[in-house]
Amino acid sequence: MGQAIKKLVIGVVVGGVLLGVTKALEFPTVFQMMFFAYAMLGAVVFILLDAPSLKPMNGVKALGALVVFYIVLCVVYIAGASLWPQYDPEDEKGKIDKILAPKRKATEQGKADELIARAKALDEQAKALAERIRALGGDQATAAQGAGGTGAPPSTMGTAGGDILKLGEDQWQLQECYNCHKLRGEGGKKRGPELDNIGSYLTVDDIKQKILDPKSWMAEGFEKEFEKGKMPDKYKDLMEENDVVALASWLVTFKNTSVNTPKPIKKK
Amino acid sequence: MKTWQRSLFALCALVALFGGAAYAQAPGAPPVEFPYTGNRTAVWIVAQLHILFAAFILGAPIFVVISEWLGYRKQDPRYDRLAKEVMKVTVILYSMTALTGGLFIFVLLATYPQFTTWLINHFFLIFAVVYPLLFIGETILLYWYFYSWDAWKGEKKARHIALGVLLNLVGTITLFVIDGPTSFMNTPVKAEGISPAEFLATATLWDKIYNYSWMPMNLHRLVGNVTFGGFITGLVAAYMYMAAHKEEERSYYDWMGFVGNLIGVGALLFLPFMGYLLAYELCDYDASICPYMMADQLSMFFEMQGAMVGLIFLASNYYIWLSMKRIEGVERVRMTIFAPIVMVALPFVMTFVWTIFPVPDPLSLAILLPLALLPTVLGRFIPLTVSSRTVIKVGFLMVVVGDAIWLTPHGFVPTGAKLVADLELPSDWNFLALMPAKNSAAFTLVFVTVVNYIIYNRAISQGTIVWGKIDFASQFVLVFLAFSAIWTMGLMGAVRSLLRKYFHTYNLLPDFTTESFTPTLSYSAWWITAITVAFYLVVSFAIFVTLRPAEAKGHAPEATPAPAGAK
Repeated sequence: MGQAIKKLVIGVVVGGVLLGVTKALEFPTVFQMMFFAYAMLGAVVFILLDAPSLKPMNGVKALGALVVFYIVLCVVYIAGASLWPQYDPEDEKGKIDKILAPKRKATEQGKADELIARAKALDEQAKALAERIRALGGDQATAAQGAGGTGAPPSTMGTAGGDILKLGEDQWQLQECYNCHKLRGEGGKKRGPELDNIGSYLTVDDIKQKILDPKSWMAEGFEKEFEKGKMPDKYKDLMEENDVVALASWLVTFKNTSVNTPKPIKKK
Repeated sequence: MKTWQRSLFALCALVALFGGAAYAQAPGAPPVEFPYTGNRTAVWIVAQLHILFAAFILGAPIFVVISEWLGYRKQDPRYDRLAKEVMKVTVILYSMTALTGGLFIFVLLATYPQFTTWLINHFFLIFAVVYPLLFIGETILLYWYFYSWDAWKGEKKARHIALGVLLNLVGTITLFVIDGPTSFMNTPVKAEGISPAEFLATATLWDKIYNYSWMPMNLHRLVGNVTFGGFITGLVAAYMYMAAHKEEERSYYDWMGFVGNLIGVGALLFLPFMGYLLAYELCDYDASICPYMMADQLSMFFEMQGAMVGLIFLASNYYIWLSMKRIEGVERVRMTIFAPIVMVALPFVMTFVWTIFPVPDPLSLAILLPLALLPTVLGRFIPLTVSSRTVIKVGFLMVVVGDAIWLTPHGFVPTGAKLVADLELPSDWNFLALMPAKNSAAFTLVFVTVVNYIIYNRAISQGTIVWGKIDFASQFVLVFLAFSAIWTMGLMGAVRSLLRKYFHTYNLLPDFTTESFTPTLSYSAWWITAITVAFYLVVSFAIFVTLRPAEAKGHAPEATPAPAGAK
């Protein structure tokens, strides 16, 4: 027991030193705690190494010990996994819906679903209109319909008629371009060039060409990445034409000359 | 379980397979909705259970036949008994593999009929002809191998071993064949300048099978199956050791646990590199897979994997430590001082070298290989030695350091998009989160384990093993290793499937259901634990029904305490 306490104390001291050093080196608190936990793990390991032998068990006692052991393992693994930062699926759900919407529409099932949804919407509007007619009388209901109230026909206008730049920014988020490219100081893992000044070098058509065919342009200094084909050659299959145009139109507005965006070199 | 019962199980599975294929041709079958779990999780549970059983029945015969051969060559009946007992469990679990396989097809067809039809159509020859034939062939060989055990002994033993080799050959081909459609879902065939759908229309069956991740997955699964089989053998031994009443039984199952752990750890040493190969090919296929896997949605799954692998290495080395404690004369075993020095230097030097000369630059090998061999070379000329206990304790320290490096993330955030300064490593220390550091951590774990086994080998050649007298805690270590290996397998299986993102087949066939999002690690952990427990219950039952009667009948004393290495 004395040995175990001694090792625990050593673990706490080592953990404390690590805590102090990481604090001095300006590690965030969560990392300081992690390094302290590593020291405690080391202490537990060394306590186990010199722990006295476990007495043999048999029969019900062994079975009971096994069941308890399994329960502990289950709890530790579930709790351990739950302690890590958790990705919120809600962040993704909206994105996936938007990305897959055109593909879903293209399928027979999608067309049927859309028709059913429209029919349902019309049905609800008809019911609401009937309610109003009953409540307000014929003249008022006609006026409400004329003013574009609940009885107005459903809009068939999509985002195509809306703000193309907003749509482009949406695509930047949906396709997770920020994973490889830095823009406005956010994102990027050095896999791809920083794009804040891309508008000074490329036109909408050039950017569109690059997205659809990654081998068409190469950023200066990214020869290795270009050779390895780091930029996925999949957007022509994943994105709709208007989405690519919107993304390119949005990117071309970035003309921040203070950022060193590498010069694109035409390859095709 | 009798032969006719096993045959019935296998028949049911085949009927399910063919029935499934026929059902898949029926147009417009509406998908069902699984209550509580949802369709995706229902498929996940059945598929994972099937893979766990399949992994064991494919992995175990590999070392069963090796064990049988060792028994024949060394004339040591313990090896033959080990092989036969593991085979008994394998035969029961073979039925479960067939059963869960059939169930998997049914659940898949009921929940994702359109996708399943699409996949079966693309691999029709595989699903309807090749795979069933291989499955039938393997069934025949497996039962033939098992039931000819006692008949083909003595002079006929070589024939029996040859049959075991054939069984493994067919098993491995079966694995490779079914890996074709599985890997295809992750990395379907593609060609530059042509859309995947267009290319697929002209691709041959071989093109579809021989995709980017097919061979890495084959190798990863093959090595993983042997690891898994080894740890399950350890589990069998632990259960039987706990249940043993006689000294000779305890001696035997102590020995069996040691062999199971040796096989498990021996194969485990190669597993991280096979994993790297698979990840490398996936990233090479599509660069966007890499950040999704390592930096964004699945990054914390890899943190958990790091924790699990670290624990598995700690436990396997702890088992060696406990094994050493029951060797008489172990205190005389010493080792060159350069072994612990290299152990300590390894993670730091490796991180530095791989940062300057990234893998696969041969210059990194030119520096690191001499470093790894330094203890062997210098140890011959400079006779400075330390005790085996010291080397092993330094090793444990370095396993903890290796775990720490492996676990340290770039940021405590679920995705890069949520990274803020308060949760991010300082930029000067960012190298701790990069691949050179992670690779060096993996190599450190492997190096320490290899050194520990070298010490163990020296100990058994210089001392005397007292079989049956191992610390009882070691049996819990064996149970822990099997449980953790299964859990990690479930975790990484989930990762591989989730890499398809919102596609059934990556970039080809979208998953339009509402369940095509990345689940949380916590949610996944609940199901992985549930699947592991379910698998454990079946395996425990199989061990109980197959080996308890054998133990009751008793065996000839085969493993009384004897000098180590004695035949």
